Amino acid sequence: MNVFLEMGGYAAYVWPSYGLTLGIIILNVVWARRLLARSRAEARRRLATRGEPR
Amino acid sequence: MTWTWFHRLGSPPHAYALAARLTPWFAWTAAALIVAGLYGGLVLAPPDYQQGDDFRIIYVHAPSAWMSLMVYTTMAVSAAVGLIWRMKVAHAVAASCAAIGASFTFAALVTGSLWGERMWGTYWVWDPRLTFELILLFQYMGYMGLRSAFDDVQRADRASAVLAVVGVVNVPIIHYSVIWWNSLHQAPSVMQLGRPTMPAAMLIPLLMMFLGFTLLFLALLLVRMRAEILDRERTATWIREAVTS
Repeated sequence: MNVFLEMGGYAAYVWPSYGLTLGIIILNVVWARRLLARSRAEARRRLATRGEPR
Repeated sequence: MTWTWFHRLGSPPHAYALAARLTPWFAWTAAALIVAGLYGGLVLAPPDYQQGDDFRIIYVHAPSAWMSLMVYTTMAVSAAVGLIWRMKVAHAVAASCAAIGASFTFAALVTGSLWGERMWGTYWVWDPRLTFELILLFQYMGYMGLRSAFDDVQRADRASAVLAVVGVVNVPIIHYSVIWWNSLHQAPSVMQLGRPTMPAAMLIPLLMMFLGFTLLFLALLLVRMRAEILDRERTATWIREAVTS
């Protein structure tokens, strides 16, 4: 296990690369879902205040 | 050939419903491919005979760099479709691309920099590929900045679409930079025909990562596109059904 984590002496370069990329993936997922939730909530609010849309 | 499918895709309620249906398929396939690709790249692939374990950065660096170019191309093509056919859905797609593309361009630059420090002895060098990739990041940021300068979404769509289309010239420059110029950046090891430069144990995880990232992009794009469609279809009747279900 330790040999794996050491990455042949390149641990300080390999792991931050993977960490950053996975972090960006997770951020993108959270971000996209939040965006859609916000737009849906806004659309619902618009419908509630305006009544029947034309 | 019939163009019905094109017109159907251009219809906001149809595009919204189709996107909602397709998203989980893309997302879960992407997750499976990325997990398998990470395992293959970190555990199964042997260390490189010259670069040792440092080469494993390729499994996050190359797919991120691929995303930076593919997302920009998608953005430019859909912006052009939006401009030419005045298609709202196409503009919604273009607007959804920028933040995704910018974040992966950033990932490509930073992971490349970490890789370069060991292999070239420096985090950064004004090499053609690195320089144009940095410019691509600024293009994404400029696109987002320009959009946010407009209150009216239709005007933001048209102005930013022109910027996206003009900027696409940078995509082939980045892609061919390592061939055109004497670059420090290594030559392509995947996207060339007939001359495999990697053994299968290294190549297969990389291809899984490429496909996984591409499907992840499609899933993210579809979710963001639905938000963009809702913001553009303020008065449409179908929205009631779409947001209350």
